[in-house]
Amino acid sequence: MLSELDELVDRDRDHECGGVGADNVCVRLVGVAQLPTRFGHFRIAAFWNNRDGKDHVAIIKGDVRGGEDVPTRLHSECLTGDALGSLRCDCRDQLESSLSKIGALDRGIVLYLRQEGRGIGLMNKVRAYALQDRGLDTVEANLALGFGDDERDYAIAAHMLRSLEVGSIQLMTNNPNKIKQLEQFGIRVSGRLPHVLPPNPYNQFYLETKAKRSGHYIDFGVRLPEQAEPVVVEGMDEPEVG
Amino acid sequence: MADIVVIGAGLAGLACAGALARSGADVVVLDKGRGVGGRCATRRIEGQPVDHGLCFLHGTDAAFLAAIDAVDAERIPGWPRLVAGRGTPCHPTAFDPSSRRVAFVDGVNVFAKHLARGLDVRTNTKVTNLSLDDGQIHAATEDGAVFSAHTLVFALPVEQTSALLAPVPALAGPRALLGTVCTHPCWTLIARYDGPDDPLDAEISYPPEGALQLVVHDSSKRRHPRVRTLVLQARPSWSARNLELSAEAVTAILLAEAAALLGPWAGTPSLAVAHRWRHARVDRGTGLAAPYRLALPGGVRIGIAGEAFDPVGGAEAAFRSGQRLARRIGGEDRC
Repeated sequence: MLSELDELVDRDRDHECGGVGADNVCVRLVGVAQLPTRFGHFRIAAFWNNRDGKDHVAIIKGDVRGGEDVPTRLHSECLTGDALGSLRCDCRDQLESSLSKIGALDRGIVLYLRQEGRGIGLMNKVRAYALQDRGLDTVEANLALGFGDDERDYAIAAHMLRSLEVGSIQLMTNNPNKIKQLEQFGIRVSGRLPHVLPPNPYNQFYLETKAKRSGHYIDFGVRLPEQAEPVVVEGMDEPEVG
Repeated sequence: MADIVVIGAGLAGLACAGALARSGADVVVLDKGRGVGGRCATRRIEGQPVDHGLCFLHGTDAAFLAAIDAVDAERIPGWPRLVAGRGTPCHPTAFDPSSRRVAFVDGVNVFAKHLARGLDVRTNTKVTNLSLDDGQIHAATEDGAVFSAHTLVFALPVEQTSALLAPVPALAGPRALLGTVCTHPCWTLIARYDGPDDPLDAEISYPPEGALQLVVHDSSKRRHPRVRTLVLQARPSWSARNLELSAEAVTAILLAEAAALLGPWAGTPSLAVAHRWRHARVDRGTGLAAPYRLALPGGVRIGIAGEAFDPVGGAEAAFRSGQRLARRIGGEDRC
């Protein structure tokens, strides 16, 4: 039986548009399949793009085509965190939490963007870790290593949402700047859902650090900004939304 | 005292200095070489240009291509048309259909000269020492001159930048970052032949194995009458292993390989000039994503750009990183 998303795969066979963003990224939806997971029953939609060999995917709960206010999360691939359980970042907590939350809803989307180390790759991420191990931890070094320039994430994400014919989204994020970026690429963002992680033994230190620092959350100077947003654990105040 | 001193008049330094000068800054560019361009180099042998470093420009970036298009010099349409060999080109996307390739009849260095036009460039000026005080940074040269500025831009091979930064303890951080980048050397041989210069089977060939990475029929880019000239570039690994060999020994080895590839004539040039480029190519696996800018206590600013500071690699990376650094020094970009 063909689903409403399979029609989009047919439509995209010869899709070629001017692309999105400074890089003119264009994507095609090339396949959709069922994906039962421990976080709920999803479908997985795979996208080809005209810039590199990275296959980005959307993990989709329920009917999202034509939908309004669809809860949506953007997740950047992080091999060390997502798959290996690294404690140098919170990527696995972020991913599991978004899949659990969206898996429990009627509908929603997690865009899994294959942009390891924010697009610069695993190798540069490990080099950044190595520099941190040697005590170098500056915003500048991270920029030189490719952390911080995330325009492309949003351009690809915007095109993927457009390809899925999503009417408007509620973005699950602690970074209001992400909303602005997506809107610049023509996505209607009808609201923001805070992305709050359940506390666990590994993120306790955020709560402890909060007491010591005047700010509300850990800033990017301390850790690599792998998911382009501050971490918020239950029990912390949310970051100021500007 | 200038507002900004740029060390290195290669494509990165010139692109950076040009953009800064256009935004109104007072910029001085220093280079140890006799002319501008760095590896974007053209020599003249009895008046005939020979591209001695990169042999054509290629890229996809709109600003880079626009800068090339603005050069008032004769192009060689479609060059290189004849490319042979199963070896790997120096740059993986040089021959992509989406990439544009440009070669100049007067040599690739016309692009560097074009970028240098109107800039205050001091050639034959080698910076040997840096010092920091009173909110200024001072670049002392071999000849005892001192150039002081609030902002100092390094547009050099990373190894040379790192050596200059070494005496300044405040710059240990950027040195650690530079330490992750690696460049490869390239032994290059210019070979000039008597007799007519008929077309060869290939304008560039990439041998699959041996010491040579590429053989360029350089004189195929020149006007008639011309003298047949080849440029032979050795592989990075071979060049690294044989870096300290004498020029005579390298000449003999590379000519023997050229003769095996092209025929005996190629082994007996009337003139052969070997050159050791110590920092010819950035290792593609170790390049960085963006130029580096650092504000030091006291208000001095440091910028570092070059081929290693943009993921596209090659001349395009050098140019882009220079322009991007200029924008960040000018404060247009965030951070």
